[in-house]
Amino acid sequence: MTAAFSNARDVIARRRDRVTLRKTLVSCAALALALVAAVVLLSLVGSEPLPARASLCALLSLGTSPCGLSQDQFDILFQIRLPRILLAAAVGGSLATAGASYQALLRNPLAEPYLLGISNGAAVGTMVALVFFGANEWSRPLLAFAGSLVATLAVYQLARGRAGATPERLILAGVIVTTFLSSVIVFVTTLMDATRVRSFTFWLLGDLSGTSKALLPVALSIAIVGTVALTLHARSLNLLMLGERDAFDLGVEVGRVRIVVFVVASLLVGSSVAASGSVGYVGLVVPHLARLSLGSDNRISIPAAALGGALFVIVADTVARTVIAPRELPVGAITALIGAPLFIYLLKRA
Amino acid sequence: MEVGGTFLFLLPSKTKSISALFLICLVFVCACNPGKPAGQNTATREITDDAGRRVSLPARVDRVIALAPNLTEIVFAVGAGDRLVGNTTYCDYPPEAKAITKVGDSLQPSLERIIALRPQVVLISTASQLEVFTRQLQDQNIAAFVTDPHDVEGVFRSIEQIGEMLGQTEQATLLVKKLRERVTAVEQAVQHTQPVRVFYQVSNKPLYTTGRDAFATDLMRRAGGTSVTADVPGAWPMYSNESALASRPEAIILPTGGSMGAENSTVADALRTSPAVRNGRVYKINDDYLARPGPRVVDGLEAMARALHPEAFKQ
Repeated sequence: MTAAFSNARDVIARRRDRVTLRKTLVSCAALALALVAAVVLLSLVGSEPLPARASLCALLSLGTSPCGLSQDQFDILFQIRLPRILLAAAVGGSLATAGASYQALLRNPLAEPYLLGISNGAAVGTMVALVFFGANEWSRPLLAFAGSLVATLAVYQLARGRAGATPERLILAGVIVTTFLSSVIVFVTTLMDATRVRSFTFWLLGDLSGTSKALLPVALSIAIVGTVALTLHARSLNLLMLGERDAFDLGVEVGRVRIVVFVVASLLVGSSVAASGSVGYVGLVVPHLARLSLGSDNRISIPAAALGGALFVIVADTVARTVIAPRELPVGAITALIGAPLFIYLLKRA
Repeated sequence: MEVGGTFLFLLPSKTKSISALFLICLVFVCACNPGKPAGQNTATREITDDAGRRVSLPARVDRVIALAPNLTEIVFAVGAGDRLVGNTTYCDYPPEAKAITKVGDSLQPSLERIIALRPQVVLISTASQLEVFTRQLQDQNIAAFVTDPHDVEGVFRSIEQIGEMLGQTEQATLLVKKLRERVTAVEQAVQHTQPVRVFYQVSNKPLYTTGRDAFATDLMRRAGGTSVTADVPGAWPMYSNESALASRPEAIILPTGGSMGAENSTVADALRTSPAVRNGRVYKINDDYLARPGPRVVDGLEAMARALHPEAFKQ
């Protein structure tokens, strides 16, 4: 009787898994297709007009054939525009994935790298790298990672009361860490040379124009590996959304999952902040959109958020680099401009 | 203070500490308000500044504060350095300027210290101009004079106005005459040359350049060049990397080596393939000459012209 019952339960669970898998594959395939289309099509847009057909041909040949583009046009496409779009994708994907997994782990829909002070932790790390190890390009992502990890742990420890981390405590802890680190940033920028302050302020707002050739492959691989790693923990995160005690009773290694999420998400935030500064709202708006349209199963919402985040930042950055061309805006201003009203709308609708 | 001490002794402890605070405040207020207003302006003349404001000035100005390095340089150049009672941490030229009381930097000057120095006029460059700040100065009966030159002639006008304000009209006129002669000499030297297409890189990451309203754009024109970004709106716009690449400049100017130190000494990636880099025509010019609209812009102009047209200066 019990065997038959558990057997039936297994069958149902397996069938549900299969449905989830199909849903995941279909929605992610659609988003991935949209992402590739966006990368290709938005590569045709920029402050310098390029011949569309020749550019498309060159892009589809993956840069092996110039297709009649002049050397300058070819360089604009492959040395400037495409790397920047790919970095935008890496940054957007990283931030949205980090946001989605923080939200699941901390059972808080407002958990977001920017709002929890984690981006600011990475920013302080990057600032330390700039001030003390300016010449070394690798010091930036490493210290940004360290900074975001420290900020994450600080927020988590501050939020944990006797009754566990309640959503309210978590947001309060995030506000405290954010404002504290902001004042550290303000203090250090005040001590900096006037000439460095302006570029630094822009960078703090989130800016993709300084795409570093060395950091691009790093940011892209961290985004992909991080998203895969967190998606593989999505099942545990689903159970964790029931509460840590319940998840533990259902066989989730709560401590290990927590460490994995903190470390991987810090890596994701650290690499994107080191590459582009603090681009806000991505980790908040995109996972919300993903959950609203595809349901709250993390096995779907985490990879969907990753692809959606990439799409979101690519579009925002296209606006940033074209709307007042040949002048530019920092992408963070655009994501906030789109993100804040969108978020209010989502809150009202939910 | 002694009366205060006795008075305090008679009060319960909590009230005592509050009263002590009050007394301390009172002492400070007294110290800051020496009976008369901070400035002693008996307005006798008016000058229109670059913000289009009519500024009332006393007949003789003995105490002046400069809130930008170019303004400090102008005050010294017209021979009124001894009347400069305050300047900013950026003000490092001439060397005597370093010894003058600092009121903060151009962006965040300390209003308290400015008022305490009892200036009659505060010279402001638009970079540091704050509306509220200016109003607070006026409330203290301190004149705020704004300069905002967009070209070499504007710099000369600033020199003449500040000279006139400080009663150094003759010296200022003479200075401007000499500077103008040097400018004319440069212009004559490059007169028959082909203008060189220049990209002026203000900073590398993010990429900033000079736009329509920057006086550096005027410098490039006079030095026998033409800025490839001369039509971009604004003075110091953040600029698209791809547009920089597409502009194919024949020469690149990097303002660096002065206050910038080693900052901005490398060309942006997008400009690596430009004719300027391929032909080795990247010129580093002291940013203090180029970024400060003061008397030394003419040094900057000469350095620029020599870089762009070495053939015109061979003798």
